[in-house]
Amino acid sequence: MAVQPSKILIIDDEEVVLDSCAEILEGEGVTIATASDGTLGLQRLADFHPDLVFVDLKMPGISGMEVIERIRTLDPTIVTIVITGYATLNSAVEAMQKGAYDFVPKPFTPEEFRLVTHRGLERRRLALETAALRRERDMLRENFAGIVSHELKAPLAAVQQNLMLLSAELSGVLTDGQKARLDRMRVRMDDLLKITQAWLRAFATNFEKIKESFKPTAIPVAVAKAVESVQPYAQRKDIEIATTVREPLSPVHGDEGLLVEALVNIVGNAVKYSFAGSRVEVAAEEQDGRIMIAVRDTGVGIPPDELPHIFGDFYRGRGGRAEEGGSGLGLALTRRIVEAHDGVITAESTPGQGSRFVIALPALEASAGIPSPSDERVLQKSP
Amino acid sequence: MSPRAQLLIIDDDPDFVDGLKGILEPAGYAVDAAYNPKDGFDALKAKAYDLLLLDILMGRGAEGIMLARKMRRDPQLNQMPVLIITGLREQIAFLFPGQPVHPHLLPVDELMEKPVEPALLLERVGALLQAAQKREVESR
Repeated sequence: MAVQPSKILIIDDEEVVLDSCAEILEGEGVTIATASDGTLGLQRLADFHPDLVFVDLKMPGISGMEVIERIRTLDPTIVTIVITGYATLNSAVEAMQKGAYDFVPKPFTPEEFRLVTHRGLERRRLALETAALRRERDMLRENFAGIVSHELKAPLAAVQQNLMLLSAELSGVLTDGQKARLDRMRVRMDDLLKITQAWLRAFATNFEKIKESFKPTAIPVAVAKAVESVQPYAQRKDIEIATTVREPLSPVHGDEGLLVEALVNIVGNAVKYSFAGSRVEVAAEEQDGRIMIAVRDTGVGIPPDELPHIFGDFYRGRGGRAEEGGSGLGLALTRRIVEAHDGVITAESTPGQGSRFVIALPALEASAGIPSPSDERVLQKSP
Repeated sequence: MSPRAQLLIIDDDPDFVDGLKGILEPAGYAVDAAYNPKDGFDALKAKAYDLLLLDILMGRGAEGIMLARKMRRDPQLNQMPVLIITGLREQIAFLFPGQPVHPHLLPVDELMEKPVEPALLLERVGALLQAAQKREVESR
């Protein structure tokens, strides 16, 4: 691809400044346009598409400051540099607060002007690169979501659909052993579907959108469901899950399914990183208008250098045993779910002694109660 | 409700179609299948169906949506009940950001997520056919 010469627009009411600037930049491989006031300068913006704009602060008509602000709203990747007299150095600072990248005080030497120009163009290059990378990242995210959902989930769904059918068709024919095997296949397939779902959730789900369906949700129910879901795994590992719910507990404004998902992740992790014969404690209570759900284990713990990263994408604890798989997205997803509920999740841990995760969610006032699903009146009360 | 209701499945995954047929045919429905939106639309124009089971993500994108929109504009097809069976709800929300998660594609539609429980599928199909029949009786 041919590199286009950079385009520089100079807006100044003094013709001598315009001329000397153009002269200094001659032979620099740039294209230059000039304008003698702010209005003309803004007009040139649309057809010239500059990379860099020099703006004199003191001009008749609309002020240089306003020109800078207008450029900033039009296209924040366009770099603006202020030309100013020594007397107006303070305004230069103000201009930079408004989005100008740099300033060049009058009078300036050709070297000074060239240096500022090069720096400005480099800034523009970086700004464009950042914007392009951001676009690329968004596209990757979208494509990835599409691939996961269609290419991966579609075949799994087809297999699962046929397994369901087989179970029904063969229900009177199979021996108990065969039936159990078929059931195991369905369970394993379900796990696989859930993992793909988790990936997709983490990357493509718009949690802002999900907020629209939030309603008053009872925490004891969510906790009980989550614990029940992890229980078989805990039993296999010979770990006791002890739940303490200190009533009364206000409901929270949220989605029960998502909250259960978040709690299953945390309680499941506690079990995963615990030693056989130990105990995982789940406690829920209300404190100063917040519902605190704490999950404590006495397992392997998290090294201090890993603690800041555990809520990021693809984090997998080093302490876990190799055969204990996972998507590496559980905590990241949990954090996103908690944040969608305007809550906070924190973790503290001592290696060798265990970890404690706390989810804090804003409580709905007790009077909100738990409505029937169609109770619109109560829903509107929530923040 | 006639036990020989005519159903059409439009889905690009033959295995998934087989899985659905295996549920619907023993329940007494006559089931045809088309494996892409174009053949599907041709089939809809060639024969009178009582219900369409439609996949959303086919081919290069949400071609099922395009087909549903085409049906809505077609006076011959715009009253046919459509049961959308799609990979997942999130995908819908994702393809159409800012729109309801359940896009109301046709005046009469219903959305289910793959894979579908056999009993639930039969229940929804039965309910949609009954509702369509009731509408027809009322409009006479």
